[in-house]
Amino acid sequence: MLFRGTLATLDARHWTRPCEVWENGVDVALRLDGVTKRYGSFLAVDHFSVEAPTGRILGFLGPNGAGKTSSIRMIMSIMYPDAGRIEVLGHDRALAVKDRIGYLPEERGLYRKMTVEATLRYFGKLKGMSAARIRERVPKLLADVDLTAWSKKPVESLSKGMQQKLQFISTILHEPELVILDEPFSGLDPINMDLLQKLMLDLRNQGVTVVFSTHQMENAQRLCDRLVLINRGRKLIDGSMEQIRAQFSERIVTINGEGDFAALADLPGVQSSQIVEGHARLEVGDSVDPNELAQGAMRHIRLSSFEVQRPSLHEIFVKLVHSDRGQPAGEEAAA
Amino acid sequence: MNKIATIAWREFIETVRTRTFVFTSIFMPMLMLGLIFGSEWIADVAAKQKDPPRNVAVMDEAGGAAAVFEESVATWNEGNPSQQFVMKPVAVGASDEENQAKEDEAKRQVLEGDLYGFVRIPAAALDPDAQFACKLIRKDSGIEQFRALNNMIQRSVEAARFASADPPLDRERIERLQKDVPVLEVDAASDEVATDRMARFMTPFAFMFMLFLATLNISQGLLTSVIEEKSSRVVEVLLSAVSPTQLMAGKILGMVMVGALLLVIWSSVGYFGAEARNMSQVVTPFRLTYMALYFVPGFLLMSALLAGVGSACNTLKDAQSMAFPLTMLTIFPMMLWWVISMRPQSTLSVALSFIPPITPFVMILRICADPDTPMWQIIATLALLWASVFVAVWAAGRVFRIGVLMYGKPPTPRELLRWIRMA
Repeated sequence: MLFRGTLATLDARHWTRPCEVWENGVDVALRLDGVTKRYGSFLAVDHFSVEAPTGRILGFLGPNGAGKTSSIRMIMSIMYPDAGRIEVLGHDRALAVKDRIGYLPEERGLYRKMTVEATLRYFGKLKGMSAARIRERVPKLLADVDLTAWSKKPVESLSKGMQQKLQFISTILHEPELVILDEPFSGLDPINMDLLQKLMLDLRNQGVTVVFSTHQMENAQRLCDRLVLINRGRKLIDGSMEQIRAQFSERIVTINGEGDFAALADLPGVQSSQIVEGHARLEVGDSVDPNELAQGAMRHIRLSSFEVQRPSLHEIFVKLVHSDRGQPAGEEAAA
Repeated sequence: MNKIATIAWREFIETVRTRTFVFTSIFMPMLMLGLIFGSEWIADVAAKQKDPPRNVAVMDEAGGAAAVFEESVATWNEGNPSQQFVMKPVAVGASDEENQAKEDEAKRQVLEGDLYGFVRIPAAALDPDAQFACKLIRKDSGIEQFRALNNMIQRSVEAARFASADPPLDRERIERLQKDVPVLEVDAASDEVATDRMARFMTPFAFMFMLFLATLNISQGLLTSVIEEKSSRVVEVLLSAVSPTQLMAGKILGMVMVGALLLVIWSSVGYFGAEARNMSQVVTPFRLTYMALYFVPGFLLMSALLAGVGSACNTLKDAQSMAFPLTMLTIFPMMLWWVISMRPQSTLSVALSFIPPITPFVMILRICADPDTPMWQIIATLALLWASVFVAVWAAGRVFRIGVLMYGKPPTPRELLRWIRMA
């Protein structure tokens, strides 16, 4: 994909706005306020502020190295910020409420020699569960992810997908109020990905707050009540999917047909275009009337289809990240 | 505290179940017992096996020695029925050349196996001030046979000298007066007669070695387990449930339990083994108490240091090379055990007692070698040891907190210091 034109010059800072309470009467399970973290001279997280409303799913979106994992580790008190404040379930530090949080780190890890059941028992105990509660929860969760038959097997005999499911249920075993998942979908096959999405939605329906990081837009678009886009440690934008889209006045027009497609790039109101023989994808401003655009196009080509869309999250994401880098959008999307 | 106990218990159970632990806890003492009892049994069996008689030709140029040599052979044969000698006298020739030819002939017979050995006692042997040497020509290198023949030569030459003295001396009378004086060694603490001098002498070393094995083996286990958790990335999951300090404390506590179990097994084997062999003065409750007193802080110190090293590294190889100076330091008392146990109160021994990672080993050596080790030194070394434990746990905790989530190149010593300062 190759973007050209004016959209690429947008200043990302324009989209950064302070968190606001976006739903009245909803508590905040997690709040980051001006959080900053440096590793030597490298600024990993830069004055990052965000709120996760209780009982909702919040997605951290960002390219690799954006500072998602660092932010999550600071939320978990595994690392400490150099500046700024973090509030987790009403406490200054996650340490105070560790047993009320479920955490799935990006780097998965289990004891290879331990059995599935022993693993869950061990993590349950570390999360302060009573033996009776563990006995009650383990079979149910194993059944939920179809691992009952494997309960007595050592972890090393499980496939990678099974291990991921095991790790996920060990995260939610103790019925946490806040679940933090770092890249939960990486390496999952489509079936397990659907299962995980279902489990995450179930958690939300039970009133659990879910925060997860990803760079896969479809998952974020489908699951999140609220999104925050991060790049180079800074927040680019946050809000609900609708709120984010509403900030982008552009629309995408896709045209198929035959004729002189190159001329379409110069139609009034077109901000950028991608054109190949018989196909054009145009970004146009909100003020452009689709009917006029279609008429203008028909002067150069024979139309076989004409469709108007809002930009996808993927497009918004790529555009914001590139304008934040100060380089033309498109290279990465092409890559 | 509950979480520390949970981690400690898992660490304990997982370690005790490993093959290495079963090997060190059960096979090591079996091996030791096997060495103690087995070597005796093997020696017994070997002694009972009857060798063919060994022919020894003796040329007595001094005169008067051959007869006593024959007597000595008879006495030896009485005491060692499985290792008989047969003496074959060789007549002394008229000239040196003739005697040399006889010696050459005997040498040939030794090489061919007709003779076991050839002994030539020169005439000069009668003069104690003369420069001379008796010759023993043989093919093999058996020490026992050498000792026996050497003794026979000594006795026979002495006898020849007695006979040639002016006036002649009564050999039998002198020998009676020279009879061995029995010395009874009694242990002051247990009032028991020491039967096995070698065992008593080796005891300090055995105690130190046990402590050394338990400490090194198990703290190395801790190093491995930290690295495994780090490389399998379990550590971050753990850190979402417990703090790094709790994690480290739990792991160390678990390993202390493993070490304690190991020492209990070994001490019981040692204690009852010694009882069974009437050597209870060797493995005493006094010594076992000190062993426990030094084991706990010594082990904690080593564990904390190795947990810090383990958390900073990603591979066992990196960790071992980082821990190398520490390992070298602990080998130090192993090399010096002789010097320390011979002179437990020397300046060197006392000075070595105050180098924290090796304090337990040196002190156990000294206390076992000399129960009168000054109490102030025991208290001072224990205090120093505990102080170092606190410093090491504090520093290792800081390294652990940073290192456990660091992947990539292991830190340089200077970086480690920075971690300690900034954590």
